[in-house]
Amino acid sequence: MKFLNFFAIATLFAFTISCTVDKTDFEAELNQDVTEYFEFEEAVSFNTNGYRISVEALNGTFFKGYNEIRLKIVNTQNNQLVSNSEITFLPIMTGLQDQTTSCPHRYNLIYNAEENYYSGYVVFTDESSSVNSWDVYIGFMSEGEQIFINQSVTVETQTNKNLNMTAFTGNDGETYFIALIAPQKPSVAENELVAGIYKYHQPTTPSGTFPDPSQFLYSEVNNYTLLLDPRMPEPSMGNHSSPNNVDLTQQLDGLYYGVVNYTMTGKWTLNFILLDKNGQIIKGTEVPTDFTPGLEGAKSELYIDILF
Amino acid sequence: MNRLTLLLLFTGVVGWTQNTPIQNDSTEVALDEVVLIAKTKKKIETEMKMAVSVDEFLASSDNISFIKRGAYAWEPLLNNMSTERSIITIDGMHVFGACTDKMDPITSYVESNNLASIEIKSGQEGGMQGSTVAGSINLKRKNTSFTNYKDWKGAYQSGFEFNNKQFFNLGNISYSSEKFVTEGSFSYRKAENYSDGNNDKVNHSQFRKFNSSLGLTYKTSDLSSLRVDAIFDQANDVGYPALPMDLWLSRALITSVAYKQLFEEGLVRVWDSKIYFNTIEHYMDDTTRPENLVHMDMPGWSTTYGLVSKINLKKDNYSSEIQLNAYNNLSIAEMRMYPQDRSERTMFAYSWPWVTTRYAGVSINNSFEVTEKTQLNFGGSLGLNYNHSKYVDFNWIFHPGVPQEKTRFLPSLYAGYTIDVNKFNFSVGSGYGHRAPSVSEGYGYYIYNSFDRYDYIGNPDLKNEISYEINASAGFKNEKISFQVKANYFHIQNYIIGRILSMGSPMNYQSVGVKGYTSLDYATLFNFSLNAKYDILEHLHWNGTLTYARGKDNKEGNLPFIRPLSYQTLLQYHYKDFGFQTSVNGDFEQIDYSPEYGEDKTPSYTVWNLSADYTFYLENFSTTFQVGAENLLNEYYSTYADWGNIPRMGRNIFTSIKFNF
Repeated sequence: MKFLNFFAIATLFAFTISCTVDKTDFEAELNQDVTEYFEFEEAVSFNTNGYRISVEALNGTFFKGYNEIRLKIVNTQNNQLVSNSEITFLPIMTGLQDQTTSCPHRYNLIYNAEENYYSGYVVFTDESSSVNSWDVYIGFMSEGEQIFINQSVTVETQTNKNLNMTAFTGNDGETYFIALIAPQKPSVAENELVAGIYKYHQPTTPSGTFPDPSQFLYSEVNNYTLLLDPRMPEPSMGNHSSPNNVDLTQQLDGLYYGVVNYTMTGKWTLNFILLDKNGQIIKGTEVPTDFTPGLEGAKSELYIDILF
Repeated sequence: MNRLTLLLLFTGVVGWTQNTPIQNDSTEVALDEVVLIAKTKKKIETEMKMAVSVDEFLASSDNISFIKRGAYAWEPLLNNMSTERSIITIDGMHVFGACTDKMDPITSYVESNNLASIEIKSGQEGGMQGSTVAGSINLKRKNTSFTNYKDWKGAYQSGFEFNNKQFFNLGNISYSSEKFVTEGSFSYRKAENYSDGNNDKVNHSQFRKFNSSLGLTYKTSDLSSLRVDAIFDQANDVGYPALPMDLWLSRALITSVAYKQLFEEGLVRVWDSKIYFNTIEHYMDDTTRPENLVHMDMPGWSTTYGLVSKINLKKDNYSSEIQLNAYNNLSIAEMRMYPQDRSERTMFAYSWPWVTTRYAGVSINNSFEVTEKTQLNFGGSLGLNYNHSKYVDFNWIFHPGVPQEKTRFLPSLYAGYTIDVNKFNFSVGSGYGHRAPSVSEGYGYYIYNSFDRYDYIGNPDLKNEISYEINASAGFKNEKISFQVKANYFHIQNYIIGRILSMGSPMNYQSVGVKGYTSLDYATLFNFSLNAKYDILEHLHWNGTLTYARGKDNKEGNLPFIRPLSYQTLLQYHYKDFGFQTSVNGDFEQIDYSPEYGEDKTPSYTVWNLSADYTFYLENFSTTFQVGAENLLNEYYSTYADWGNIPRMGRNIFTSIKFNF
């Protein structure tokens, strides 16, 4: 009798100790769709005139969107890294009918003395495809001689939507680019949002020998403001927003910094309004604050979709 | 890990019980509960109805009212204050519901046939179990005494309620001997949708509940005993017509091991200690509602383990109770939403981001008989409350930078004086106490409240709610007539309530905005009750109750869920083995309602009930048969505290039969 009772309790206990529905593994939940890149690895390398040029990018891959690059040049005769040289970097995309365009980039790379590399960035506006192909044109001085070299590269699709980009024509008729740089892996929290904002400059002089950098001029825009309004556009979310977001403003490194709060994981839209230094709207519209369950959320003219 | 430890402990204790050699000689000492001060409501049945649910039974108490979200799991309000402000325990054990929407108050995890009584204490007198403002409700388990001879006892009850086709079976059995007592119970209730006073079905008001319990008590010596106790409760397919979702499954396992030692001499009379463990899982289901375009899973889990240890002291005209309470609770609740296109990525957030609550406190309750006619009661408690939010990032969205951990001191004090003058009795008392915000108030994240249709956000930095309380009562009693007037007044500083947040936008589908829990400077609450009894003839008794309450915030606005003037009157007649009862109860119009908190004016209503019973012997079984009707006139009504103004049940004919052996 006693044993039976005890047995009943023990069974009951064992039965209930396991939950009917498993709890969510939140860390795994966050990792689900996000690939993070931390390491700079060689993306492409090639030899020319006794030099070996190596271009490093995060994860060793060029993606559509913002890519920070580190370029190293080795003199293959003495195996010495070439330091403190003047290096130019120009990406060119050849599209339909051999039309050539470029994308936002740093033309004159900056030398990093501590780690002996040349630092730059490139915002690829398209993936490599059967139609579009990318080349990088690199120029440097060697023993008083200007060397130019070009190399084709592959630009992959960015699977991490938190690093998406957008290109658009502003109300002033100019072409602008916004590329997300961070966070790569957002969490349900305050996230520092970093973006690069760039502008294309129409050539003012006739084209010289290809590739003429004056025909492919891009620059960071300065002292603009990027107003931020994050929403969840899914009909189920009714264009839900979040509190305590901070608009993006330019910091010393030329990039734009702000704060975005994500209240839950899922699909989000970052709605933007880009203001120039005089506060004039370059692009973007305000999103109504109405809660609209059942409808696809309204978006600004200027937005980037993300997912985490 | 903790669960494993407990399981080992559990097996160890039971095993040890079995191996203890049986001792023969024993002087008979009844291990009855030594109740010093508690005023206890005995017997789980009401005058009108002998087979009641725990909720129906609680409803018969003056200072309990209910928020009802359907036919099941009503949320008890003590002194017109919600469950955050009161302490609800099962035999002193802290159990916390796993539902963010309060679909599972603790009272929903027990059943009337595994309880002996419910002890309700108002205000700071209820501080024995922990820090409280409103008071405490302690659901006391059945506890069979040892007997000199081997004895089997049991009862079986079955019945049918016609309105919602509720069929229930309740059975309990106990075996007692000199050394060993075992008792068990089971119950099963199944109900379909009920109909309101217009004979319209109230959809999603069905429920199914299974409950069982088992207790084993072993007399370890003449003056000591060891008890192992477990309750298992499972509810399936419970509808909540007032909410946008239902319950798919809730399950609770409530276990304890208790050791009790009596002392024949000396200051210390009883030492009673218990370790306990309980775990609750609760899964909501909104796929049963076609109006929901979006579906959201909202599972919740709550696990608590703890210790309660109590000693009773007595010397001459002084007696005292000292109690140590310690517990650890982990509350988890998730929200997962599915977009229309199910292949799309779902959305996920925590509504309780793994919140740990630890509490340790010592309470003392003293009673001093100044003279034969006058008595002084005084006591207090000091508690330490610790909270930790594992995924504090969720809390940082609305409250950037709040600490992940929070420790609070929760003191309380009270004193009361009672005096008997001839046939009159009077009492006055006063109390002071702190309480910590609940898990939802502190750490809740987008908890949808379907009453005011706002999403609620907790604030970890809320101040302690501080209650200042005075109470008084006066009564008269002679052979035929008795009456009792009671009143209390609470001034509650830092009263926690939800206020509209300008920032933030709603998340839940039906929601209209976001409210954050904030502290009002203060709020006040006044409760009054008048209870009278009159024995008209030897077998004809009358009693009546009138209650009134008023709650105001610091701007003289009304607080929500305050019961309007209400009454109940009951006439009972017994003749031989027959009993007849009739009662009328109702609320007056709710004048002082609070639109700010989602209330509208609720009209008055009156409900008339009738029942008759007959007791007879069937073979050797004492058998009672009862038939009756609630809401005989089929009035269509909803009360001030019916969530979303859902109508209450219309005419309900009930029958039940009970065998005792």
